[in-house]
Amino acid sequence: MALGIVRDPDLAWDVAQDTFVRVHGHLAEFEGKSSFSTWLYRIATHLSIDSVRKERTARREELDDVNEADVAEAGEGILSTGLGNDPRENALRRELGEKVLEALEALPEKHRTILVLREVEGLSYEELAERLGIHKGTVMSRLFHARKKMQAALRRYTGRKAEEQEP
Amino acid sequence: MRECLHFAPMIGARAGELTAGEAKALEAHLSGCAACRGFARNVAATDGLVGEALLARANERDFAPFVDEVMARVGARPPTPAGLRPAYAQGERGWWSWLRRHRRGAIATLAPVLAALAVIVYVRLGLERGEIAMVEISSEGEATTILETRDGPVVLLSEENGS
Repeated sequence: MALGIVRDPDLAWDVAQDTFVRVHGHLAEFEGKSSFSTWLYRIATHLSIDSVRKERTARREELDDVNEADVAEAGEGILSTGLGNDPRENALRRELGEKVLEALEALPEKHRTILVLREVEGLSYEELAERLGIHKGTVMSRLFHARKKMQAALRRYTGRKAEEQEP
Repeated sequence: MRECLHFAPMIGARAGELTAGEAKALEAHLSGCAACRGFARNVAATDGLVGEALLARANERDFAPFVDEVMARVGARPPTPAGLRPAYAQGERGWWSWLRRHRRGAIATLAPVLAALAVIVYVRLGLERGEIAMVEISSEGEATTILETRDGPVVLLSEENGS
């Protein structure tokens, strides 16, 4: 999860270690209101986001609004045709995995974070809203944008692959 | 297209995340919207890719030294047992640590002393202005009387029951 948010493997390693150090230092404060893993992941999420924000230079935040062009760009399932419909099989392909990570790393921090929390930690809309301190509607639109951008990046990759395979 | 703005963000929702009404409306919209159907197919095709790719990348790293490095960062001490203050568990020394461990006792002990000092200052200032130099304060079940004499302040400690 830390790797997905902070991108840099060494920084992710540091964040992961810092998470356990924080957990160790604050064990007495764990009240058992959530599961231990939820508590740990919450700390890891905050540390990851903090880490990214410390490094980030001032940039214009992207809006979470959904506009018509965004929907139109979603395409007609071309990506699903290019990748096939078996995500497990796809994930095993190293090249695809690299492209997925490249696409993930290119996302703005807030889109990367929400996608990682959704897909890696498996948080629900409600949990994402609580974890990130945003409304459920914002969760949905932010996820939409994150997915759309991921799809756009992967579509370029599948497009190139299709061209390479043409006779 | 206007409907798409409303329904596209719902695509990818898991069971139970949309209300029954929302799910039904989304289904109806998808049946008549090729663009949203395409997006939905793409979402399904990429589902899990991020997690799998991240796991593969993370697994490239040797995690053997991870625990040792974490323990080195926390001072190679065993985890803090629940209910104990971390500073106490880590053997922190000094008066501040003692205060933190014995907060109630410290307050009970120091409060009358600090109050007495404050009263002495107050009384001295009062004397200089010719005011009465006797004040009684109470703390933690004890009554403390401070008399200001020409030879200096006299602090009388007694139980509140008058003994």
